[in-house]
Amino acid sequence: MKKTLIILIAILAVGFIGYKMYNKPHTDVQATEVLKSFSAEELFTVFDLGEAQAMAQFADQVIGVNGVVYQKDFGNELEPQIVLEANGDNGYIRCGFKPEEKSKLEKIKEGQSVKVKGLCKGINGSEELDLLADIDVVMSNCIIIE
Amino acid sequence: MILVGFAALALFAFTNHGGGVYKTNTGNVSFFSHTNVEDISAINHKVKTAFDASSGKIQFSVLVKDFEFAKALMQEHFNENYMESTKFPKATFNGMIENVEAIDFSTNGNYTANVMGELTIKGVTKEVSTTSTFKVNNGTVNGMTKFILNPEDYNIEIPKVVSNKISREIEITVDADYTHSH
Repeated sequence: MKKTLIILIAILAVGFIGYKMYNKPHTDVQATEVLKSFSAEELFTVFDLGEAQAMAQFADQVIGVNGVVYQKDFGNELEPQIVLEANGDNGYIRCGFKPEEKSKLEKIKEGQSVKVKGLCKGINGSEELDLLADIDVVMSNCIIIE
Repeated sequence: MILVGFAALALFAFTNHGGGVYKTNTGNVSFFSHTNVEDISAINHKVKTAFDASSGKIQFSVLVKDFEFAKALMQEHFNENYMESTKFPKATFNGMIENVEAIDFSTNGNYTANVMGELTIKGVTKEVSTTSTFKVNNGTVNGMTKFILNPEDYNIEIPKVVSNKISREIEITVDADYTHSH
């Protein structure tokens, strides 16, 4: 009887842990401490000069970045974005936001300095693909810090 | 001489199909896997893509880690177990719109074209061919296509224990609003 009870509790516990893991939430950017803060130029350089190492260190981590807004890009209503200057004409930081953050982005002006926190996703664009030679370090689920 | 110049200009205007490069950094690529046990889907809203309206060249670069799943655990498994996205961060496509001359980029309308080229996922490159629609609307172009790929063709191994949850026919949808860049 006692043995059956222990087995039953064990099954329930495993089931509960499994259920919790299956439904674990996405990283809460707001509540997570930044692993590291960069200027836009620094972040771009870290990925541009050593993508493999930068991916291993920072991909899917919450990082902070501050820079000058080059452009607001609301071309995709599912993810409003801002683009920070980082390396002249061919290097930028592209920050994606949840649609509910759009009202805050609307107040930001091009040329303004901002500080953003978000999940680092990597560096997009390619020198081998000539039409896509301008390169972005990409961040997602961003929030404006200041 | 001036007349010849005007004639050349007029000829250029008539043959100009709105050439140049069309581009976006906010394209959508999504995928969908259906089995009797589970439906899985994910979407990426920051796809970098461009095409040359004169030559027909078309390219895509997609960050694998930027696909968003409803469930965080699925996203983790996709990146760590199947795609090894830290090691292979990008999926790319380099191809041609085969009958680009049939698309009049200066006239609104829906055009169908075959897009063919090399798709690289997880370091494996395969030829892909798909029928696409290009919707021209006042100088902007929406490009859309759907195609099926088999993960095993790209060295994406699906362990037996979850093989009934992940389809061998993953439906890929591409939907991008291009604007004229220069």
